[in-house]
Amino acid sequence: MRTYELITPEGTKDVLFDECLARRDVENRYRKIFGGMGYSEVITPGIEFYDVFNDGSRKYSQEALYKLTDAKGRLITLRPDCTIPIARLAATRLRDVPMPLRLFYVQTVYENNKLLKGRSDEIVQSGIELIGSEYKRADFEVMSIAVKALKEYEGTDFRLEIGDVGYFKELVSMLGVSEGVAEDIRYLIEAKNYPALNDLLDSIGDTPVTEALKKLPALFGGVEVFDKAAKLASNDKTREILDNLKAFYTSLQKLDLGDRLSVDLGIVNRTDYYTGIVFKGYLSGVGEAVLQGGRYNRLLSEFGMNAPATGFAVNVNLVAALVRKLGLSPVQTAPEAVVYGEHGYCIEAISYTMELAEKGIAAENAVFDSFEETVAAAEKRGIKEIYVVSDNVKKLEYKDGEYRE
Amino acid sequence: MNRPLRIALTKGRLEKDTVAVFERIGYDCSSVHEKGRKLILPIGGANIEVVLAKANDVITYVEHGVCDAGVVGKDTIMEMQGKYFELVDLGFGKCRFALATKKGADFFGGYDIKTIASKYPNVARNYFESIGMDVEIVKIEGSVELAPLLELADGIVDIVETGTTLKENGLEVVREIAPISARFIVNTVSLKLRQQEIEDLVKLIKANI
Repeated sequence: MRTYELITPEGTKDVLFDECLARRDVENRYRKIFGGMGYSEVITPGIEFYDVFNDGSRKYSQEALYKLTDAKGRLITLRPDCTIPIARLAATRLRDVPMPLRLFYVQTVYENNKLLKGRSDEIVQSGIELIGSEYKRADFEVMSIAVKALKEYEGTDFRLEIGDVGYFKELVSMLGVSEGVAEDIRYLIEAKNYPALNDLLDSIGDTPVTEALKKLPALFGGVEVFDKAAKLASNDKTREILDNLKAFYTSLQKLDLGDRLSVDLGIVNRTDYYTGIVFKGYLSGVGEAVLQGGRYNRLLSEFGMNAPATGFAVNVNLVAALVRKLGLSPVQTAPEAVVYGEHGYCIEAISYTMELAEKGIAAENAVFDSFEETVAAAEKRGIKEIYVVSDNVKKLEYKDGEYRE
Repeated sequence: MNRPLRIALTKGRLEKDTVAVFERIGYDCSSVHEKGRKLILPIGGANIEVVLAKANDVITYVEHGVCDAGVVGKDTIMEMQGKYFELVDLGFGKCRFALATKKGADFFGGYDIKTIASKYPNVARNYFESIGMDVEIVKIEGSVELAPLLELADGIVDIVETGTTLKENGLEVVREIAPISARFIVNTVSLKLRQQEIEDLVKLIKANI
């Protein structure tokens, strides 16, 4: 039988040294941003009941979920998303806490990706949820924090894109087609598949609404998008949505975003609990969105508590990979010094290493049993200083090919 | 200036047809004509470089964003799927997916599960799912026409252009599945970050197909 004891499962990997440092650096910086704005960190279980991700607006495709069973034979899944468990948590244990709630998290999600596509199945997400306010102030806060997170690393270039899932839903409802056709249209708009979308809409008819839907995938860009959309088919609701979105666009410009802020009216995600304004964040050099968020006003009610909410999540893996590539994250360096204890002074050497560490000197206790081996190893790693501990401490420095006092 | 827009072309006919479009636009494609062993080729007169790749890899490169855009057949898109924008039907590289069986065979009759041979198992599976028919699918890498002749399969799902190969092997098309042509696909982030450049290029391409 073939055994798999030397490799990790497809889509996962061991994270070492510089890569690990980059990952933690991103996590810690976001922690500081979120914590600084009054958000409290929570940890939800890595495994949840399958039902949590398979009802209402929380339908995940079976293939995308890692599944197992618990001791009672109930279906369990590795968490594919952080917002849904937090909605569950808020609607149960936090239901009597005064609103609004400000929560943040840094934890892994799992997605069962197609094999050999070079995609990670295990992703660290860091994000915030602001629960209990239906007002724009809450969206402004969340989006401003998203912008702060996106521009955290100087030397990267970002883009924030806003949209509203209601716009498409309204247009399609004016069309009066079956749910299946509506889903086909949604899919083609999401893929910006103009050729197939045009064919499908032509078969439905030539009305102002089909005309508008044909243009929808192209309705992205700067403020001019609102003028283009204003000329298309509309009803009271779409006008309200566009006015609202334009108000957001105008207000967010106070953050000096310039053309880093854009609009996409063709954002039409499917498995999705979003109910209104949605946004995505991009970093130049990363082939997919690194940040996704929006308003979800009905998700908590699916867990029995009526509360509006808004939030976002950042894909920490993608950000960490980018900042590491750009040399913006910390790197592993050899310690400055090695401490060697003469025979009989092992404990003293360890204590002295700790003393150095407290003083902020990166030192390492030598575990070789002879001074010669310690020297050879230190020289190989380019370590500049050796402390030799006996009744006293001798400090040797590397000069001209040897360690001298 | 920005780094060049990197476009992956499917090697072979789609590459030639795309280069012809670029030349009609007025771009200098001599680097592609005289490529030798080079794999990344700059296009003269535009801030574009071209990468030549196998069809499946075009999609992989575009999906990962290491290429901003690509030219690939609808057949590969239907088989591979994935996440990218499919912006333009380029109109060339036309053919179709079809179901073919041995001439005169009663493919849809009887209650036995039928076996389908195909280079495109996902396309075959999706098609039979859409018509509510349960079939067994066998993936074949080379000449699929052989499978029904050797009686491994009852039918094949394959690309058909003129139908000559089918005819010569005693096979015939019994169902059309989908039309195929070359598509211009774009990475989801590139379209947003380099909107103007890509929109301008798409306009030029559409005007010169």
